[in-house]
Amino acid sequence: MKNFWRILAGIAILILLWQLAALGLNRSILIPAPSETLRLLFHNFTTPNMLLAAGQTAWKVLFALALAIFLGLPLGLLLGLSDAAYNLLRPLIMVVQAVPVISWLSLVIFTWGIGWRGPIFISFLSLFPVAVLTSVAGVHDLDKDLLEMARLYRVPWKKVVREIHLGSLPPFIAAILDVSIGQAWKVTLVSEYLCGGDGLGEAILTARMNVDIPSVWALTLGAVLLGLLSEALIKFVLRRFRHAWKRS
Amino acid sequence: METLLKSTNLCKSFDDLEVLRDINLAIAPGERVALLGPSGAGKTTLLKILAGLEQPTSGSVENHAQRTAFVFQEPRLIPWCSVKNNLLFVNPFGDYKEALRSVEMADFADYPPADLSGGMRQRVNLARALITQPDLLILDEAFHSLDLGVKMRLMESIHQRWKAKPFALLCVTHDPKEALYLADRIVLLSARPASVLLEKKEKAIQKREITSPDFLAREAELIQLLSNKAYLG
Repeated sequence: MKNFWRILAGIAILILLWQLAALGLNRSILIPAPSETLRLLFHNFTTPNMLLAAGQTAWKVLFALALAIFLGLPLGLLLGLSDAAYNLLRPLIMVVQAVPVISWLSLVIFTWGIGWRGPIFISFLSLFPVAVLTSVAGVHDLDKDLLEMARLYRVPWKKVVREIHLGSLPPFIAAILDVSIGQAWKVTLVSEYLCGGDGLGEAILTARMNVDIPSVWALTLGAVLLGLLSEALIKFVLRRFRHAWKRS
Repeated sequence: METLLKSTNLCKSFDDLEVLRDINLAIAPGERVALLGPSGAGKTTLLKILAGLEQPTSGSVENHAQRTAFVFQEPRLIPWCSVKNNLLFVNPFGDYKEALRSVEMADFADYPPADLSGGMRQRVNLARALITQPDLLILDEAFHSLDLGVKMRLMESIHQRWKAKPFALLCVTHDPKEALYLADRIVLLSARPASVLLEKKEKAIQKREITSPDFLAREAELIQLLSNKAYLG
């Protein structure tokens, strides 16, 4: 409870500083007042168009995240089990991880033009290495004593993979979700801004082109709140899931 | 004599550290052998090599057992599987209820290992070995975390199981009582590098009563041997 009040106090200080900056600068084209931004935020997120935009961004985030986990986990498992495969593919994963979003954007625009595929593809590429490398770490960290026990009792390898390797992954899936959800929102918004045909990123772009800075602030704040909300939701689900996993 | 498990001139070194030196050991089917040796002598390493989990530096091992079971010093249970599933993991067709009953854990089949005490986990470790119906059972200080009452009952359970259907048993222990209770032959290992100091065939003990004069006399004799300078290193 103490923490809750501290967080509230932190938010209040932030809004106060924002208000002071807006008053000091007195130019809403640069920094709109918090009251104006919050009014616009409420106004925007009660219109069907903006709700649709938020939904369009949310599904791209979730789709990219799901794709990264469904493809990254098996690959991570394979790379964790085979040193040869790991050494072979590690450079590729490191390159994918190191290439800046902007470079992927150029490629995506040339390939697909403006549309929903670009943001999903770019978000996926930014999350995929995290999913793979976290899964590899999971396999590497696996208790070797369990594998020795399975070897002694001549347990078939398929069963060892299913029961021990896959069984050990849930905490790592949780870690991937935990680490990636914030990043997924950020990258999807940037991609929508630059090459997406719809979503909150595109709405921010439109507001900017109309020099409607208070709307840019309101939409950004809305996106931040949605990101935080999804992060909190995922953390809540994971807490319950971790508990169930421990009890299983 | 028919041999189930045999090591010939077995040596093991880890880099410059010599752990085992020329271990020659033979165990017949249904024979029960206790290995005693000072801490750090390399007993666990020897058991692992005999079970095929580690390779010797030189020498050879012949293991003719169809099913080898190993009760590790630490339980090695899969944390995300229930007690029942830990047992079925090594033998999906085994009678897990009977195995758990024999270690007094019948009521805990659906528990996750995290909810059990150290001693209870160790009993599940033993049940997992028993569910495989081994013809060679290796115990590596299997009872070290158990209280005396449970320990005695479990040793009796193993003894009764052996009487019903003999299997070879190789156990490592520091406890002379445990060695005398479980084994027909005692092998004393020296301090590192471990080599066989002495082999002692025990007369068959019909009634394993640890307070009987016969048992106590044998225990005293064994303690005397364990106090030997060569043994202590």
